[in-house]
Amino acid sequence: MVHAGRGIREIFRSREFTAGFIIFVFLVMFSVIGSALIGYPPMATVGPPNLSPNNKYLFGTDSFGRDVFSQILHGIQLSLMVAILVSAIDTFFGSSVGFVAGYYGGLVDTALSVIVDVMLVIPLLPAIVLITVSVRKVELFLMAMILGLFGWAAPARQVRSQTLSLKEREFISMAKLSGATRSEILFIEIVPHMLQWMSAHYLYDMLWAVLTEASVEVLGLGPQTTMTLGMMLYWVIRKAAIFRNLWWWWTTPIITMICLFVSLYLMHRGLDRIVNPRLRGRR
Amino acid sequence: MVRLKKAHKYFIRRTILFVIIMLIALFINFTIPRFAPGNPIGTVIAMIERQGSRFENIQEVIDTYETMFGLKGSIPEQFVRYLSEISKGNLGYSIRYFPVRVSTLLGRALPFSIFLLGVSTAISWALGTVIGLFAGWKSESRLSKTFSYVALILNVVPYYMLALVLIFLLAYVMAIFPFGGAYAGTLKMDWTSIEFIKSLLYHSFLPSLSIVITSLGWWFLSIRSLIVDLKGEDFILLAEAKGLKESRIMWKHAFRNALLPQLTMLALSLGGVVNGSLLTEMIFSYPGLGLLLFESIATADYTVIQGITLIITLSVGFATFIIDALYPLVDPRITYEER
Repeated sequence: MVHAGRGIREIFRSREFTAGFIIFVFLVMFSVIGSALIGYPPMATVGPPNLSPNNKYLFGTDSFGRDVFSQILHGIQLSLMVAILVSAIDTFFGSSVGFVAGYYGGLVDTALSVIVDVMLVIPLLPAIVLITVSVRKVELFLMAMILGLFGWAAPARQVRSQTLSLKEREFISMAKLSGATRSEILFIEIVPHMLQWMSAHYLYDMLWAVLTEASVEVLGLGPQTTMTLGMMLYWVIRKAAIFRNLWWWWTTPIITMICLFVSLYLMHRGLDRIVNPRLRGRR
Repeated sequence: MVRLKKAHKYFIRRTILFVIIMLIALFINFTIPRFAPGNPIGTVIAMIERQGSRFENIQEVIDTYETMFGLKGSIPEQFVRYLSEISKGNLGYSIRYFPVRVSTLLGRALPFSIFLLGVSTAISWALGTVIGLFAGWKSESRLSKTFSYVALILNVVPYYMLALVLIFLLAYVMAIFPFGGAYAGTLKMDWTSIEFIKSLLYHSFLPSLSIVITSLGWWFLSIRSLIVDLKGEDFILLAEAKGLKESRIMWKHAFRNALLPQLTMLALSLGGVVNGSLLTEMIFSYPGLGLLLFESIATADYTVIQGITLIITLSVGFATFIIDALYPLVDPRITYEER
């Protein structure tokens, strides 16, 4: 426990992490408290269309008479949910593949490495487009699964090479000499060494998931039944909101998303500096 | 000798991997749409009937169309025919613009995408590299640090968001630039006419600007960190000790050494050229692959979507293969050993 406390204090000593964390907490609180207080359903027509911001509709309404404020609050939650799910799949599945390939080596390693190489070279956006187009009705959960399918290869490769180098260290030979079994060595000696790296990667992967999800949705392949930040931009473009001076409709999702990106990126960078002390001196 | 032998093995390994990947990509591209609900022939026939034609011999028509869309025979037979057709450059027919061929649509869109992304990438690379060189050389200055933070932020902003802001400011509020399109509607598409090129450049300015600004940060950061690393190297210190002029050390010694990795990164990014502009084109209704993809998705034109994804997959896969094979030749510090 003492150890964990010290670790957390060290993380918050990083100014970048703290700044990102504050923005992140603010966004989450804003979204949770906001949707508790203002309960418009994001997909329902609740007022006249194209209304500029006022007391009743804080961010105005869109061309369908839906409340933009509620859409933003809802969108933040959905984006984060997708990001957390995708990142969990990528980080845990990818790392597991990396550990197994790196630690057991041999034929297992060759087979897994070929799969990883193949996954890394398949261009992401066209592949996702092809899959979502074929599925037709995309739900948010399915979107997360598809993103997860394409995101695990990168962490797998990195964990594999880290495991390969950890395997040759002295403390592993010590453990072997003292009679630890292979799986004991893997779980007690090697995996804990990678936990910090995995948490830094977790944040980076969340950023990647939010970005990719938004790009796919802006192309028109998002879920039709819920309102995410990417789907808001899709409708903004479809309904030419910019040329009709409906500024409240298009500026709000952009600003929200940039805040989200920046906060995740800053947290990732802060953690990354702690994990790789080599980066610390660099600016 | 040993090095050459290793190079040989590495090259074979890469080639086999490349072939496997391309086959998988082709297979996925072939399979997925066949599992999708609905069929293209029904759509085409319904479309033609809506235009007022009646079919007397409907079964014959369906038969003909099945052959045209490559849907005749068992799945393995279809796959073999698909491969042989693709090797001849035949990607089938568009469903929406039937009987226009997919390759015709792609051929019309591709030059615009390559032009937009090629020019934007070149500008952004050159600008980012020069600014990053100075920023890396004076890495302790306040200006350099501020620039780095701006570049970091730009790096996470998706280019299409900036495109929306630019279109609002420069096309809507100030009305200096057109809302979209690639050339004035009064002109005919003709890549040799001066009028057309002028109009093309004018219309391409905003989409290009949005790509340049958002990718600038990447080139800036990459060369800056290269230069910061190089500054501590012995040969730079030696040049300083010899009393050479600072600008000479920067250009002749530091920049020269950073140029190769920076160029390699450029080559790597060229594979993604087609990939990178999809959403920008859509926002500016710029008639490249991105807009074609967007329209095809909206109208469920599967054959065209398939063609576009195939082109992007092949170009990215091929570029990665070339770079992988050439990289160790260009930079002797990298060996052909297996990672």
